[in-house]
Amino acid sequence: MVSMTELSAKHNSPESAARLKKRKAAEWRLKAYGILAITLAGMALVTLMWSVVGKASGAFTESYITLPVTLEAAEVDPDGTDDPSVIGRANFGGVVKDALKAAFPFVKSRGDKRVMYDIISGGAAFELRELAMADPSNIGQTMDFRFLASDIADLYLKGSYGALVEQSADGVLTIESDGKTAVVTSSAEDFTFVMARVKADLLAKAAFNRDQAALQENGRVVFTERGDLDEAAKREVERDRFTALAEALETRATQGGGGEALDKNSPSVLVRMGETWVKLTEVSATGGEGDVIGVLDSGDWAAGDWQVYLQDVPEASRKVSDLQIALIENLRNAGAVETVFNKRFFTAGDSREPELAGIWGAAVGSFWTMLVTILLAFPVGVMAAIYLEEFAKKNLMNTFIEVNINNLAAVPSIVYGLLGLAVFLGFFGVPRSAPLAGGIVLAVMTLPTIIIASRAAMGAVPPSIRDAALGIGASKLQTAFHHVLPLSMPGILTGTIIGMARALGETAPLIMIGMVAFIVDIPTGVTDSATVLPVQIYRWSDFPERAFEARTSAAILVLLVFLVLMNGLAVFLRKRFERRW
Amino acid sequence: MTDTVKISTKNVDVFYDDNHAIKDVSMDILDNTVTAFIGPSGCGKSTFLRCLNRMNDTIESCKITGELLLDGEDIYAKSVDPVQLRAKVGMVFQKPNPFPKSIFDNVAYGPRIHGLVGNKTDLEEVVEKSLRRAALWSEAKDRLHAPGTSLSGGQQQRLCIARAIATAPEVLLMDEPASALDPIATAQIEELIDELRHKYSVVIVTHSMQQAARVSQKTAFFHLGDMVEYGDTSTVFTNPVDQRTQDYITGRFG
Repeated sequence: MVSMTELSAKHNSPESAARLKKRKAAEWRLKAYGILAITLAGMALVTLMWSVVGKASGAFTESYITLPVTLEAAEVDPDGTDDPSVIGRANFGGVVKDALKAAFPFVKSRGDKRVMYDIISGGAAFELRELAMADPSNIGQTMDFRFLASDIADLYLKGSYGALVEQSADGVLTIESDGKTAVVTSSAEDFTFVMARVKADLLAKAAFNRDQAALQENGRVVFTERGDLDEAAKREVERDRFTALAEALETRATQGGGGEALDKNSPSVLVRMGETWVKLTEVSATGGEGDVIGVLDSGDWAAGDWQVYLQDVPEASRKVSDLQIALIENLRNAGAVETVFNKRFFTAGDSREPELAGIWGAAVGSFWTMLVTILLAFPVGVMAAIYLEEFAKKNLMNTFIEVNINNLAAVPSIVYGLLGLAVFLGFFGVPRSAPLAGGIVLAVMTLPTIIIASRAAMGAVPPSIRDAALGIGASKLQTAFHHVLPLSMPGILTGTIIGMARALGETAPLIMIGMVAFIVDIPTGVTDSATVLPVQIYRWSDFPERAFEARTSAAILVLLVFLVLMNGLAVFLRKRFERRW
Repeated sequence: MTDTVKISTKNVDVFYDDNHAIKDVSMDILDNTVTAFIGPSGCGKSTFLRCLNRMNDTIESCKITGELLLDGEDIYAKSVDPVQLRAKVGMVFQKPNPFPKSIFDNVAYGPRIHGLVGNKTDLEEVVEKSLRRAALWSEAKDRLHAPGTSLSGGQQQRLCIARAIATAPEVLLMDEPASALDPIATAQIEELIDELRHKYSVVIVTHSMQQAARVSQKTAFFHLGDMVEYGDTSTVFTNPVDQRTQDYITGRFG
């Protein structure tokens, strides 16, 4: 027999106080976990945004190089037709090359010329062509034209290939030049720092060789243990070779004085005298020997009229060559280089040339795809939900359908891609790579989400509203469309927009139906070949050109902006409809 | 109170799956009369009320046998469309359930979907008449476009009554219309019911015996699916025939 009085007394017992303390501690812990979880999530988001925005910043500006160019009538329009179709066939690439040759007449060898041409984008020739075609009176004229810089030049200007660092130089520089190579000697030890850097580089290389030697030694030991003496002997030879290399490098690094040879794998040392550069192939504390970039006679240069530059990244490890650096720096000094907002990125289609590539084609492709998706998925999804929620009888068949719709929402999206490939493309012959095909596949993928969200929203409409409508003689159809549907619209729209946002970010199913193709033209309808934003991001992330790295991040930002806008719209619509009712 | 029979039921049985909810009920509901259904919870009075305008059709497991005649016509005949029937037999529910629309739209909804009026002026007239009849006009006339849900509970219930009578029904079914209301609002509704009986046949389900005694002329007592007793309210309350009625109205159970 339980005495209730005894039970009451327990409320004030020490056990009760202990329980209370424990409960409060548990509550406090739960709150702490919650705050921790939110902090972690927030940090992850901040890190993501930081990384994406940081990487994307390079894509929002582009560089132009202004050079005088002559549209020679003989080359562009030899017969003087002024006919755009004739002009359009001219070799404008040659015109661009001529402009560069005129700007840098000292670049002579074929190899050097090819390197020089690489500072201007291949797209510049098309812009020049458009200019000539638009106004044939330009032909025969010499004018300043803004050439789009190549991705290499652009990245160099943005500092992506390491900085060209100026060293202090106080001596008088004496030049002995034969036009191609020159010996430069300073009256002071102006190259000491450079030498130190070069020697540190030698030590680093020596350390690398020592590591290699150690690895070979490990191999030798293992093969000896196994009894494979032939292999062990080979490893021993290799070990000795690496050790010898390391020792030689260390000797070079530690020896004082003398000259040190520079190659493609060493840091670059550039000496500059006005517009002329000497790229050192051998350096000592007071000077060295190197190749002339520009025109150089023997003579003396006073302190302040010449500079020493050190580029820490070896030439072999960067896309921009020393020659290109010298030319770009000359152009920059002449004020011929400008960096402007990259409008092209937001208005152009895809391109293999990163400096010409834009996001607009993919954005328009996404728009058409989403249009097809919403036009199919929204009405079908909402109608299906109305039927299942308001009309369908509770029988085995309908339960089976319901379970399957719920399961469909969990099907991996690539499976929908396979379905699209087999059924829509293979059987119904929907055009490949087109927003129509992509939209249908994404609509099928989004349908379960919309149906589930719509059913949940309709289920949340109080039954009293249905009773009220039926009670005054509204039919089931009228009840559904006059009362249930408007009341559940906020929920339906939220579900739809979240489903659409998922579809907007979907890549896998679209790859299956060929929307991963390289498409330069902006799609003008649902049957044009197109790609979409996430697929564009996926493709760019796979391209080897470094400038695509920034464009990939910028495209991610654009996609994120779209997603944020869509979610914002969902919130807005929900609030709006909620207030109206 | 007249002697004209509005609704006549004969041997009505209602089943929810295996549950026999209404057992062999036969009664005549008179025109221009308030008929009250009383009885303990779960006795089937609401179920029976909902049979009168086929609201039970929405419940899949519900089976109805027997004969229900409205003005001599079988309510459950194949030729009768439940939607048409409900326009003639209006219903007011226990909880006020105005549509989340304006007061005007609430009342105008019925006439609109049934195409009762041709133009806007007529519609406005119908809305005004209905609101007047439901004693809500003076309170609502200046705020016809305010949401129906912004009214107080009693006003909302009167709005629901206005909405029900706007379709010009012949019978008005009320399922505990005042149970969610305070005494003042209840008194207003009761007064309204008394008014309404001059135009309609009113059937009201109530838990409150005082309410039944106050507003009704005829009373039916239900118990465990049986209609135990049906007669003039004064007789049922003062001189019941059946012992169960006697026990219920004196408060021995229920």
